[in-house]
Amino acid sequence: MSFEAECPECAAGVEMAGDTVVGEIIQCPECGAELEVMDLNPPTLELAPEEEEDWGE
Amino acid sequence: MPIPAETLTPDEAVDLLERLVSIPSLSGEEAEASACLVEWMSTHGFEARVDEAGSAVGSRGNGPNEILLLGHIDTFPGSPLVVRDGDWLAGRGTVDAKGPLCAFAAAAVAVDVPQGWKVTVAGAVEEEAATSKGARHILANAPRPTMCVIGEPSDWNRITLGYKGRLLCDVLLRAPFAHTAGQAALPAEQAVGLWENIRRRCETINTVREKAFDRLDPSLRHICSQDDGAYGIVDLSIGFRLPPDLSPDDLKQQFEEWIEPVSKETAVEVTFSGSEVVYRGDKNNALVRAFLTAIRAQGERPRFVVKTGTSDMNVVGPVWNCPIVAYGPGDSSLDHTPGERINLTDYLKAIEVLKAMLKQVFESTESLS
Repeated sequence: MSFEAECPECAAGVEMAGDTVVGEIIQCPECGAELEVMDLNPPTLELAPEEEEDWGE
Repeated sequence: MPIPAETLTPDEAVDLLERLVSIPSLSGEEAEASACLVEWMSTHGFEARVDEAGSAVGSRGNGPNEILLLGHIDTFPGSPLVVRDGDWLAGRGTVDAKGPLCAFAAAAVAVDVPQGWKVTVAGAVEEEAATSKGARHILANAPRPTMCVIGEPSDWNRITLGYKGRLLCDVLLRAPFAHTAGQAALPAEQAVGLWENIRRRCETINTVREKAFDRLDPSLRHICSQDDGAYGIVDLSIGFRLPPDLSPDDLKQQFEEWIEPVSKETAVEVTFSGSEVVYRGDKNNALVRAFLTAIRAQGERPRFVVKTGTSDMNVVGPVWNCPIVAYGPGDSSLDHTPGERINLTDYLKAIEVLKAMLKQVFESTESLS
């Protein structure tokens, strides 16, 4: 069984495999945005945290 | 057998940090601090010892799955006074990295460790000395953990995914003096020219590279000139922060071409050290997911970061190749500064994040695969 949710960036439908887990990071096939799976019931996506850059250890 | 959690109050967690920060522990001089942390862990249900490298290592649980919380117990030189001022604790190591290390120990005490799991806290020696003696000893002698968290400051709501590589180069230039009224370059001038050439080469490589993580960044760490009769000797210490597509070995090869002597009479010797390959961990695994959930549970949006420095992740990451991140409270812009200090509310939040992360990891059956 697969799920589908709306990409919060471009509103495209994003299909997710049945073994998708909350917290998984997937890519929108339309706009390429990285998305975090927030919930499976109902399937909900948010933009994944962006990668910042920082100096130091 | 499952190992039950112990109760640890916020005051006890802060006392541990204040106690450890009060013990100076420059690289190579960590014995007293390691003994202190081992004693604390032993009285809080860990099986703890000082290992052969001098690192403090303590475990709760029996495994076979293991999450290793790998901090470091040595500090950068300099000794800002240890001062508690309201919600702040100042002192060398509060941020880099006794804050993260003590947060590891405090969190590991306060969670149930189920059958099949072990949580290990390590305060490794000589991370700041560019030898990473403690981490290398663990790498050589301990089994590969199921997951690893490196203890470095990144703010309590940020997850560090990777660090750039590094190469250190000591260049010894020896050249004859010329009359200062003449045209020939003096030894010190040749050395400055050599550095400028290196800088230009790096600028060329960086032309189309926008992100700091992708750039080759050189730094002139020291330069020292002296007279030796009719010759001048100049010692340059140069550091490079390496991008993902340039290994230390690749740079060594290129570097030899960059330092062509300006004349036949000039001799240039190069010694390389501190070689570390870049490492960037995956962000789609059970460890990262547990951190994302744990930070959100504290009411904050989690953030990812990659860093231009190095850490023990560069040492163990490429070998273990297991889920790995760096995490810890504290503002890393205060690393190595006279104003090093940590916000204690953030320190306590980081402990809560670590506890929640550990619980989720232990409950996650996928992490066992």
